[in-house]
Amino acid sequence: MSGELLAFFILSLIAIAGGVMMLNLTKVVHMVIALVFTFLAIAGLYVLLSAEFVAVVQVLIYSGAITIIMLFGIMLTRHDDRTEAKTGKGRQWLVLASVIAFFAIMFYGIRNLSLGEQATTLHVKNTEQIGMLLYSKFVIPFELVSIVLLVALVGAIILAKRDDKEKEGESQ
Amino acid sequence: MIDQMLAASPNLMNTFLFFTIAAAFLMVILGFVTYAILAERKVLGFMQMRVGPNRVGGRWGLLQTVADVLKLLIKEDTIPKLADRPLFILAPVLAFTPAFLVLVVIPFSENLKFADLGIGLLYYIAISGITTIGILTAGWASNNKYALLGGMRSAAQMISYEIPLVMSVIGVVLLTGSLNLNEIVAAQENWAFIFIQPVAFIIFLIASIAELNRTPFDLPEAESELVAGYHVEFSGFRWAFFMLAEYVYLFAMASLTTVLFLGGWQPIPFLGFIPGIVWFALKFILIVFIMIWIRGTLPRLRADQLMSFGWKVLLPLALANIFLTAIIKELINSF
Repeated sequence: MSGELLAFFILSLIAIAGGVMMLNLTKVVHMVIALVFTFLAIAGLYVLLSAEFVAVVQVLIYSGAITIIMLFGIMLTRHDDRTEAKTGKGRQWLVLASVIAFFAIMFYGIRNLSLGEQATTLHVKNTEQIGMLLYSKFVIPFELVSIVLLVALVGAIILAKRDDKEKEGESQ
Repeated sequence: MIDQMLAASPNLMNTFLFFTIAAAFLMVILGFVTYAILAERKVLGFMQMRVGPNRVGGRWGLLQTVADVLKLLIKEDTIPKLADRPLFILAPVLAFTPAFLVLVVIPFSENLKFADLGIGLLYYIAISGITTIGILTAGWASNNKYALLGGMRSAAQMISYEIPLVMSVIGVVLLTGSLNLNEIVAAQENWAFIFIQPVAFIIFLIASIAELNRTPFDLPEAESELVAGYHVEFSGFRWAFFMLAEYVYLFAMASLTTVLFLGGWQPIPFLGFIPGIVWFALKFILIVFIMIWIRGTLPRLRADQLMSFGWKVLLPLALANIFLTAIIKELINSF
């Protein structure tokens, strides 16, 4: 067994365990912390695939920014919320059946899948290559994405601003 | 030597060697933390016309921190009854582990480095963000309003100042053309980036002090209003871990500043016969001293001043700096 396989097993175990814990824990804050471990483990899997840049961005955006915003939102609002299991027997059987169906379809789909030859030069200057491609071949999608982000930013500002004005109007 | 080891094929012997080196490095860090705390107390003492610690370990109080740590070790480990127990136990670990992990990418001299990552700078910034989760978790798990307020403040502050921190460094990255910290140091052979990117250096220094939660940005643990902030319920060794994380980050941030702006191990002209590690140590100590100096000089900011300063002053300045750097680089390249 090679070290890479060992690392893959450990990381995927953490990722799956984090996911399962997120589904089964009752407190919302605990769920978010479990999710952090899943995100970190997935970043580790990216490293195994020679995608360091994607891995670091995964840690930066998902485990860093998004989780903290989620924790913030939860702690400042309904932080005592618990999920309660209220599913019936029939629904559970239905879920089991669909899980089995999903597994069967996926298994059938990937059984004869061949991934072709593995790329061997993925790790050579990959950050530079991502940058080059983003600004040459994929420049229009890249700019479109940034416009979407800009619109979201403006929307957030408008949502936050309107509240203030209404309050000022009330006080006058 | 380390270069060869990094390229060697993984086996048990190498794993053991790496483990030993990492453990030795941890000891060095612990030694630094011990004496950084003493130095901080001494320097602050002199600045405030006091003597500082002078009882334990001779005239200079050399064993004061050792005694303090010993006291922390034998202290009772308390967990509040209404605390969120699993998170309370997990929080110090989540806060400390990233502090030690970020040190992997910092090159201390030509030969003394632990990893040669192509994305070294981004790695540092990404991993250090996890500590915020640890602090937020600590504030939450304590089930105490002061702790929660401290945790919230810390998260808000760290997110706000991470952005100018990253933006200020982009100028350096543009000039180097690489995120690899080794290449950034190599690019400063003739001129350190503090002379080429002075604005970036000032923004970086301010933002790094805010990231470290040190005065004048120590709102998360403002003693006079929040008792002690997010670690108010922690005692004994768990509390020591938060303090340790804080000082290890001081080490890491001062090292990063040295590497990015002061030229790392590169010597001052005509003094090249002094080994690189000594240069690194000198520049590093200078940065640590400046941090202590600022702590002794400036009062704490208000929360709203902190936010508006970060978003309305530092961020536009950093963006303008990127813009100017890009234009100047293009102009120089075209002639």
